Amino acid sequence: MSGQRGHELQLEAITQRFHDFVAVRDINLRIGAGELVALLGPSGCGKSTLLRIISGFMRQTEGRVLFDGEPVDHLSPSRRGVGIVFQNYALFPHLSIRQNIAYGLEVQGVAKAKRDARVDEMLALVHMSEFAGRFPRQLSGGQQQRVALARCLAVDPKILLLDEPFGALDKNLRLDMQIEVKRLQREYGITTVLVTHDQEEALSMADRVAVMSRGRVEQIASPTDIYDRPATLFVNQFVGSTNVLDGTVSTADADGSPVVALAGGRRIRVASDAPLTAGSAVRVSIRPEHLHLHAEAPGADALPGAVQTALPLGALVVYDLALEGGAALKVSVPRQRGEALLPAGAQVWAAPQPSAGYRAFPA
Amino acid sequence: MSEQTLVMPAPPLPRRAAPSFEAWSLRCVFGVLAALALVFLVAPTLVILLTSFTATESLRFPPEGFSLRWYAALLDADQMQAAAWNSLVVALWTTVLCVLLGTPAAIAIARSKSPWVRACDVLFMSPLLLPALAFGFAALIFIHRLGLRPDLPLLVLGHVIVCTPFVLRTTIAALTQLEPSLLDASRSLGASEWTTFRRVTLPLIARGIGAGAFLAFMASFDNVPVSLFLADERTEVLPIHLWQQIENNLDVRTAAASGLIVLLTLTLMVIAERTAGLTRQMR
Ligand SMILES: Nc1ncnc2c1ncn2[C@@H]1O[C@H](COP(=O)(O)OP(=O)(O)OP(=O)(O)O)[C@@H](O)[C@H]1O
Ligand SMILES: [Mg+2]
Repeated sequence: MSGQRGHELQLEAITQRFHDFVAVRDINLRIGAGELVALLGPSGCGKSTLLRIISGFMRQTEGRVLFDGEPVDHLSPSRRGVGIVFQNYALFPHLSIRQNIAYGLEVQGVAKAKRDARVDEMLALVHMSEFAGRFPRQLSGGQQQRVALARCLAVDPKILLLDEPFGALDKNLRLDMQIEVKRLQREYGITTVLVTHDQEEALSMADRVAVMSRGRVEQIASPTDIYDRPATLFVNQFVGSTNVLDGTVSTADADGSPVVALAGGRRIRVASDAPLTAGSAVRVSIRPEHLHLHAEAPGADALPGAVQTALPLGALVVYDLALEGGAALKVSVPRQRGEALLPAGAQVWAAPQPSAGYRAFPA
Repeated sequence: MSEQTLVMPAPPLPRRAAPSFEAWSLRCVFGVLAALALVFLVAPTLVILLTSFTATESLRFPPEGFSLRWYAALLDADQMQAAAWNSLVVALWTTVLCVLLGTPAAIAIARSKSPWVRACDVLFMSPLLLPALAFGFAALIFIHRLGLRPDLPLLVLGHVIVCTPFVLRTTIAALTQLEPSLLDASRSLGASEWTTFRRVTLPLIARGIGAGAFLAFMASFDNVPVSLFLADERTEVLPIHLWQQIENNLDVRTAAASGLIVLLTLTLMVIAERTAGLTRQMR
């Protein structure tokens, strides 16, 4: 079919209002050809709305959708060339697997001989050739999803949209299908938008992750950057887990990096993307796995605390500490074989690993 | 959270599940209803079937002897045959028109959220709730006012009004079960709205429409109240003809005709259940 390389998708200042409720607010995204971008966000943040706008089922209140630099807003869903895999797969129950996959080619008027060849190719691609004669209800969830993907790819869409495609699968199957979808996406080089509220899925599958909250994109970056350099406290808290401590910016220390006084009075050095003004309130975040425990004070930036509880989680132990001033701090440390857990009440020092540090966000 | 549910002690199991009062009373009500249905629906049907096989000249139960003479006599009953033919023609026209009108109406109603459309839904359903006798009488006065005389098209029109609700209801039910993402999937694969309707919507609601058509056909075929007012001598329909025969001369042929109708209906019902899952569509 047409070129193997994907198409660029661009969203320009997209806003969607329902009456006076703003579901999607001024979204600008450029998704490169062949890229897989995950839209990650809590329920109701506008992910599906954005997908419906890209696919043409909903006309945005403001802004433009462009494929390869060409606006497509005037094109109906049937003309846009956007393939969608739905959460419930949406296979036609009255058609066999073969007929399902052939459907798009048929309605687009592809000649029978060519159509049959393409369907065979698709069936082989998703390893479903032997099920061609069955009906959707006779297939398992994973098989149905493969068929849904094949049906989509058969018409060679410009853009592939996956709306929570793995939500209905159990854990093991989900991993298999994630790998499978990733393989197909790579093989076809098709530009893909994956909607999910599962952060592991987003981080493991996507080239870039766009974290959304209340109709806005909070940050779009590579999975590692999203995790290591969250742009906002929301992203920090939504992706992975983190400790949040309240503090006030005090004067910068000798080398110029900002210092924050925590509620208990202790002062720590922090990193921040936003400029911090002295005296303003901030929230300081650090991930449990970026902290170490020490018996003695290891130097600056360490926080003393008393062990409240220890949660052994196999390879890891999570300690819940009570800091001075009453704040709670979780520290997750790798557990050595046979090592005893720290008892409740033990006095310890928590300090960031050399490569990590505290991040401050304006409160 | 899940840990908590894990350590919750299991509630002690009762030694033997004693039937609760609710379950018991439910069973009683079901039993009584089933018994009533048997006694008042099935038993009379059996009585009329058995009577129709009588060898004697009179309508009497229990029948004396056994013969098919009254069924044979139906072959010569010209008037009754004409009435049956009329009923069939009216019922078929009614069914076709009900489907042609009811299906698009159902689609519009199922799609729209507008209060006006809701109001139309209630309006179209009202013939099921209003007494058909009042409607028939009113329709007769109305067409007289218009300077028309009862004839076959007007009779069909009357039947269409009281029978369309059946198609409407079953089709709306089928449409509400239709997964909207199927239509989106079809359109995103390049199908126009019309193609989507023809290739996805229609096949998936066909059983609902079929069930409604069957009900509309049966409702028209044995409709009395509307036909009473809107049928003239030339368009006399079977139920009214049978009623007059029974009233005038207790003709045993009416029993044979009834028997025939019962058997035909049963056959149709079995076919409808097998092909369209009739009872499933009515839920
Ligand atoms: N047709 C509509 N009319 C009014 N409000 C709507 C409509 N569609 C969506 N919304 C609102 O817009 C917001 C975003 O909805 P959307 O379906 O895009 O969320 P989502 O991110 O896909 O959530 P989920 O993860 O639960 O699927 C929600 O608050 C929802 O209530
Ligand atoms: Mg959604």
